[in-house]
Amino acid sequence: MSGLLARPRIQLLLRLLLGAFFVYASLDKIASPSGFARIVYQWQVAGPLPSNLAAVTLPWVELVAGLLLVIGVWRREAALAIALLLVVFLAAAGSVLARGIDVTNCGCFSVAKEAAASGWPPAWMKGVGWFLVVRNLLMLAAALSLAFVKARAPFAPASE
Amino acid sequence: MLPFFDMPVDWRRFILILAGGATLGFAWNAASGRGIVLGQSVLSQAGDELVKAPDAKALLDKGALFLDARPRDFWKLSRIPGSLSLPEEDFDRAFVEVEPRLRRAGTIVVYCSGYGCDASHVVARKLREKGIAAAILDEGLPAWQDANLPLDNQARP
Repeated sequence: MSGLLARPRIQLLLRLLLGAFFVYASLDKIASPSGFARIVYQWQVAGPLPSNLAAVTLPWVELVAGLLLVIGVWRREAALAIALLLVVFLAAAGSVLARGIDVTNCGCFSVAKEAAASGWPPAWMKGVGWFLVVRNLLMLAAALSLAFVKARAPFAPASE
Repeated sequence: MLPFFDMPVDWRRFILILAGGATLGFAWNAASGRGIVLGQSVLSQAGDELVKAPDAKALLDKGALFLDARPRDFWKLSRIPGSLSLPEEDFDRAFVEVEPRLRRAGTIVVYCSGYGCDASHVVARKLREKGIAAAILDEGLPAWQDANLPLDNQARP
């Protein structure tokens, strides 16, 4: 497994996908801090002040780390920053699920009020549920591999 | 050595990414014109009057009328004692039912299910448009329960 993850092409692919995903995810939240803050409130993880701080700062960390991953600068550290974000999101989602709170729009991409009501993407993709948990766990694995797995030189023997 | 334990991460860069992102976020919040007031719920707008749970209890003891802005099914299960149901989602119809009581009431406090819901804010604003002043219970029912204030749990039809 780590042999596959050490392949430069696999690492490049993961880096571009993960980086682009986070850049895209940050844009709508950056465009509407109050819309994103409303969604953070619905998660009911923290009071208004910490929720506001998260709503103002997290999308920009997503954007900066995502851009660095895409352009390939400080990529291990950027991948680690994304891993940290994912751990925070997973912990918050776990808390939401454990308390049985119904969050119909997780705010992962779109924070518009209509987003919760529109037919696409389907509700199980938008809400805080198992899809979100599994998706974030997969991305966490990808981010950690980018942070810590050393890329093999393209022509080096596989058995180092 | 296993590649996973190689840890070729520069922690200063890692901190810089987090701090830089957060700094940009604060700068954008301050300068973009789309920013939010950090110390206050974004659900609050100018003109909204918020009361904390213990102060709201004091108002209740003095005979204030409480309005439950949640969907009616929630009010049927459990409510602040003496409160009337005025759901945001069904405001126009429900308002007609309770209007005479509201016009006679002294102090009115609206609540919903916490700071994640803006129903109490919406209902208070709609009442204001109709010339009825109403305060909003800050952080809603969870704050009321956290302060161990009484609830009426008798089911209503």
